[in-house]
Amino acid sequence: MIQETSEQIRKRFLELNVEIESSEIERRLRDLIERFKVPASEAERSVVSYFLREHNIKREDYYSTIEGASSTQIADINESGQWVNLRAKVVQLWESTSPTIAQVGLIGDETGTIKFVKWAKSNLPTLVEGKSYSLENMTTDEWQGRFSVKMNRTTRISELDEDIETPDREAHLVTIDSIDESGQWINLRAKVVQLWESEHESIDQVGLIGDETGTIKFVKWAKSELPALVEGKSYSFENLTTDEFDGRFSVKFSRNTSIEELDEEIEVGFTATEFAGAMVHIQEGSGLIRRCPICNRALMKGTCMEHGNVDGIHDLRIKAVLDNGSAVQEALLNREITESTSGITLDEAKEMAVDALDQSVVLDEMKKRLLGRYYTMTGRVLDRYLLVESVLPMEAITHSEIDALLAEVT
Amino acid sequence: MAGFTREVAYRIFAHELKDTSVALERDLENAYAPQYVLTPTGAKVNRVFIVGTLTETEDIGTDTEYWRARISDPTGTFFVYAGQYQPDATRVLAEASVPEFLAVVGKVGVYTTEDGNVITSIRPETISVVDAPTRDRWVLETARQTIDRIKRLEDGSSENLAMVEEHYSLDLEQYRQMVASALESMR
Repeated sequence: MIQETSEQIRKRFLELNVEIESSEIERRLRDLIERFKVPASEAERSVVSYFLREHNIKREDYYSTIEGASSTQIADINESGQWVNLRAKVVQLWESTSPTIAQVGLIGDETGTIKFVKWAKSNLPTLVEGKSYSLENMTTDEWQGRFSVKMNRTTRISELDEDIETPDREAHLVTIDSIDESGQWINLRAKVVQLWESEHESIDQVGLIGDETGTIKFVKWAKSELPALVEGKSYSFENLTTDEFDGRFSVKFSRNTSIEELDEEIEVGFTATEFAGAMVHIQEGSGLIRRCPICNRALMKGTCMEHGNVDGIHDLRIKAVLDNGSAVQEALLNREITESTSGITLDEAKEMAVDALDQSVVLDEMKKRLLGRYYTMTGRVLDRYLLVESVLPMEAITHSEIDALLAEVT
Repeated sequence: MAGFTREVAYRIFAHELKDTSVALERDLENAYAPQYVLTPTGAKVNRVFIVGTLTETEDIGTDTEYWRARISDPTGTFFVYAGQYQPDATRVLAEASVPEFLAVVGKVGVYTTEDGNVITSIRPETISVVDAPTRDRWVLETARQTIDRIKRLEDGSSENLAMVEEHYSLDLEQYRQMVASALESMR
């Protein structure tokens, strides 16, 4: 922290053609902060003042901004590649998704909020959530119509004593299909469609919630101390934040979230999706399987994760991977679809397993019949899987298809 | 698993795969980083899906089974090697008859021989016996995707253009002709 600040001061003086040993700046800062317990921002101010006097430089010259960068407000940012200065508060810090990014999150001023990215290479001091700063010499950027600011090597950060007011982060009731931005506060009325196994102790519950317009992943942190959600029940959720990873959105529950169970049942809407491609893989857990008679979960080695050793009920399913050469889609085929696609009925599958004294022969036979073939599958997408409702084998190619392509290369 | 995405299986004609001589450097910081090869039309490939005619199989293993298969499409021949670590694929090759149509999903490997020749081969994940309409569909689809890659190199929109320029002659005409002859063979 002290080193970073001293480096900033050194750089700024260098821009004014004054060379100061960074060890000298550092020594003075350290003295003020560690021995005199002066707040860092005050220490910085004091040290700068000392050197300004020492070198006979006007205060305005030091604090005036580099040519090109103009002081602005967040609502006025409407162009990328601009140099700007902002006085803003750090509203939210997010997890950095890349080693090249030191910090990422939202900053806000009186006029709105904007995403910021602070590069690891910039060597800038660490921003603290809730604190207000003067941020000078940032560049604006744009992606799909949304703006952000980037903090780089030349950016100067100084903490403000005042607290910048940001607009009320009042959450509005939205529908799931309208969620297209991260860092938003929202309210939802939704049903818990699925609960998944939590992969981490910091996560209390994780799964899928849905409303009439679609479904979205949710994450409920253990430290949020919220009541447990029950699969199949509908709730009103207030003060969730939106998040994004790899183009997929999710909502996060926090301490600020309130949950209220609804009497009515929310009907969950799904949009039909079609995917055409070659079946390139059939995953483990496909073929002839057994399910727990109590919870219907697929058994692993004859054991239910929830209910232990149970007498399982036979079922057929296929978890397939379709690939069209530019994208992959995992597809879940239920018994009916598996039977019609593979031509093997549940009864036949049981017979095959009994004859071979091994139920894996069913999966082997299905692989033999399906892998490497082209299919068009239609259904609804639930998280990773396309829940398949209909399957069509790809039609034979026609002369006109060949001729159309030939025309493109000859 | 969060963050894990399966590698797409590219459609590449045998002729183009034979001309492929560039193995991209792996990300050394990530032990799970996949190995990619760069093809002359700018596909950055880890996995392929091919359909062709099995023309020869041979068990070239000494202690254990190790099968080499030649699988041909209208433009050339793919080399597929399967051993004890690909038990399913090995079994299919051991039982396959010549000729028949095979569909193969697998990883592409590139190695340089002592005299400096670069050889590509396919390590299969799955092999299945398929029919003629599936092969026809594959040729059409591979033609479509190869043309698209050529066009993206020509109009500069391919993200791998710089790498292709660095490693290959960028003589795209021969690959147009390859696509044309593959399509002609289907008429």
